[in-house]
Amino acid sequence: MTRILYRAIPVLACLAGLCSPALAQTSQPATVTVQSTRDPVDKSYRKMIRGMERFERERAMAPNAPLRFQLLPRLPTVDMRGITLRVAGNSVSVPVPVAEDNSFVLPQNSVALREDAAVLANRKTTSMTWRAQIITPGLPPGSRRLGDMRLECRVGVEAGLVSNSSPLFAWINDALTSPEQVCGGPNGNYLFFADRPIFAVRLRHGARVETLPFTMLYAGGEQSKADLQYCDCQVMLDRTFYAPIWDASWPDDTLVEFEYMEGGK
Amino acid sequence: MKRVLFAMLLLAGCASNPAPPGTQVDLARLQQGVVAGATTKAQLLATFGPTKNVVFDSGYEAWLYQAPAGGGRFSEFVVLIDPAGIVAKTRSRAPSAP
Repeated sequence: MTRILYRAIPVLACLAGLCSPALAQTSQPATVTVQSTRDPVDKSYRKMIRGMERFERERAMAPNAPLRFQLLPRLPTVDMRGITLRVAGNSVSVPVPVAEDNSFVLPQNSVALREDAAVLANRKTTSMTWRAQIITPGLPPGSRRLGDMRLECRVGVEAGLVSNSSPLFAWINDALTSPEQVCGGPNGNYLFFADRPIFAVRLRHGARVETLPFTMLYAGGEQSKADLQYCDCQVMLDRTFYAPIWDASWPDDTLVEFEYMEGGK
Repeated sequence: MKRVLFAMLLLAGCASNPAPPGTQVDLARLQQGVVAGATTKAQLLATFGPTKNVVFDSGYEAWLYQAPAGGGRFSEFVVLIDPAGIVAKTRSRAPSAP
């Protein structure tokens, strides 16, 4: 949070007019044109389209995987069954089919793009978390591919899907963090979620096998109950892990293997 | 004098790696003393003491012990305790290369 506040201070100062003496000297009232009534916590259709464009540009990381987006629970009270989704602009409303696993493909719509539409679910926005979902078909059960996850991070951040701060500061954080910052370094804190509760995560490429340290599981294992409300891992802590997507010594074809809490792989 | 003391404190802080979180226990003791399907949470506490842990909404708990591996490095020994308070799984992780 401290890091976010440091970043926020100059922005807030600018908004207050402190960095614009010309504005302060004029006696003309400022005119503000509101282009959209989209709620700032709603998902931006434009940003999600930008994420899709990034996927196309960088799909060499995951050449055989399609792009979908996925809705995941963030609050314990949210009912994840029967979710409906639509792209909503000022004059357009496009339904988006949602699959059984709450994943979906975002349709292209030029009117929605022009109107800076929102992507809306029939659930409170803050009750769910959103992710890009990029999965190469045919992987061994209980495993992911590191290149898919690298691209998921870049697309997800570009699309403005991930927020792990209080809603008050989320927009500032979004404005000041780039996919390169989040996905390119060990302090990016991009969280991944396994399909079931995990006990261990191993990386495997050829003969090289490494188990992730405990600090890379369960959001670092340091989250207090109070911290958890700002983590989108709140109700999926036992499925949460960091992957070394920034570490170029692990190629895109590296397998990320899960040992689950219950049962085998 | 205060500046010298401050510099010494800084140097002392840089000179050694801090011990990692988690109670330190010899790895062989852990491997012999913690048996999946048999050891209870109470026995873990009594034998090795409390340590860094994460409690999940499901009732499962993950406990982390650290085993000194020489050269200031530590192996990890992770214990999964099921909602009934019985050790469900264990695993160890060798220290990373320095």
